Amino acid sequence: MYAFRLAKQSILHEKWINLLSILTITAGLLFTSLTILSVYNLDVATKKLPEKFSMMLYMKDGSSQEELEDIINTAKKDPAVEKVKYIPKDEALKEFKATFKDTQFVLDGVGGNPLPDSIEVKLKNEAVTPGTARKLTEQLNKMKGIDEIEYGEKFLSSIYSLKVGMQTVSIIFVIIMSAGMIFVCYSTVKILFYRKKREIETYKLLGATKAFIRAPFIIEGAAIGFSSGILSLIGILLLYYVVIFRLINIFPLFKAIIFPVSISLFLPIAGILIGILGAAIAIGRIRY
Amino acid sequence: MINFQEVTKHYHNHTALRKITFSIEKGEMAFVTGLSGSGKTTLLKLIYLAERPDEGTITVAGWEINKLRGKSIPILRRSVGVVFQDFRLLNNRNVYDNVALALRIRGMKDRELKSRVFDSLKIVNLRHRADSYPDALSGGEQQRIAIARAIVSEPAIILADEPTGNVDPDTSAGIIRTFKDINTRGATILIATHNRELFRNTGRRVLKLDKGNFVGEETV
Repeated sequence: MYAFRLAKQSILHEKWINLLSILTITAGLLFTSLTILSVYNLDVATKKLPEKFSMMLYMKDGSSQEELEDIINTAKKDPAVEKVKYIPKDEALKEFKATFKDTQFVLDGVGGNPLPDSIEVKLKNEAVTPGTARKLTEQLNKMKGIDEIEYGEKFLSSIYSLKVGMQTVSIIFVIIMSAGMIFVCYSTVKILFYRKKREIETYKLLGATKAFIRAPFIIEGAAIGFSSGILSLIGILLLYYVVIFRLINIFPLFKAIIFPVSISLFLPIAGILIGILGAAIAIGRIRY
Repeated sequence: MINFQEVTKHYHNHTALRKITFSIEKGEMAFVTGLSGSGKTTLLKLIYLAERPDEGTITVAGWEINKLRGKSIPILRRSVGVVFQDFRLLNNRNVYDNVALALRIRGMKDRELKSRVFDSLKIVNLRHRADSYPDALSGGEQQRIAIARAIVSEPAIILADEPTGNVDPDTSAGIIRTFKDINTRGATILIATHNRELFRNTGRRVLKLDKGNFVGEETV
């Protein structure tokens, strides 16, 4: 309890330096939260992509039943493949006609069945990456009877490059911001520690344990971090309920933004951890 | 209670203490005297481990303190009450909190320490200044607060470095009477002073230092 009292006295006595730290860490937590939210949104958006992703294998005209079965069996054996479906040219034409039933003039020009037999290969969700798709394409392309394989290579590559790029940049950003926030707390506590050097020396000479000396500083660091966490939480909630809500009314596109409010409740905890870590590093080893 | 065997302490090129050997018995009250720079403060610092000896061995309350490291140091210091030459009072805390600090460091709860703090302040006749801050006190009053802080935890050993350096003769006599009272309750007391008047006719043992050398002892 005495440690809490000392920490409270110090926070009030050194209010300006503490306030400055709190505001700096709040800004850091806000930027970090927004970065994480952006990546989260992108991740959610791309997570639905694998469900719709499939590779289309178009067969050469006149390919044999044996070649077809060979291709289907090879595709099924691949651990990345979830489902293989054979689409005969007649069924493909039926689907084509169903799709273009409102535009009869398109079908009028089509005589006979120009569509080839095809095989639809669906990959397992976790296996939908440009690398896996390319590898499977290379393997199947070597087989007899295949005319062409199509899977939107460029689109898949761009989405995954964007996702991986955003994730990498955000991880680097979060690490740098966290280090910066820890450093802000470290500097504050270090300054306070130096200002109380003589006081701490007296504690030591009177027989204080290391824990007795450290506790008020750790509590102060945690309080700085917690206050920053609360302020950034308020900032995030304001951003969502005031800014984004209004933007949705003006631009419906903003409806697509997913905002997990519960995640932002972790901000005070993150603040406390940052504060404690910064304070602990600032105090360092206590020698008698 | 306190035993020095051939203890030497150097500061850079200067030898503060040279092969000092003496003993203070349990429950004894003794003085160590000498001119400024004779090594009195260094001798006390070696006892509460603010300094470490370069040679020789020191035993305090059964602890061979040359070997003490880490967690054992605060334990030793809690069995020693020190009246520092510069008092080491905390100016941002009132008299009550300054004295209570010695007990809080020992983990005592607020409700338990109140009576002990006031008892200590009563012994040094400063109970009425409990709410004052050190800056508002005279040098003599600050010194008495430092004494109150040293005795409040009832340590086995009390060390006082020039405890009457800032007070008038009457207050000095009062302080010595206080130490004698504490001594009768069983505490071992070692007082460093250059003021010969302080120990005259006390009937106590006086250890004499001169330029870091032990030059004898007498009972006055």
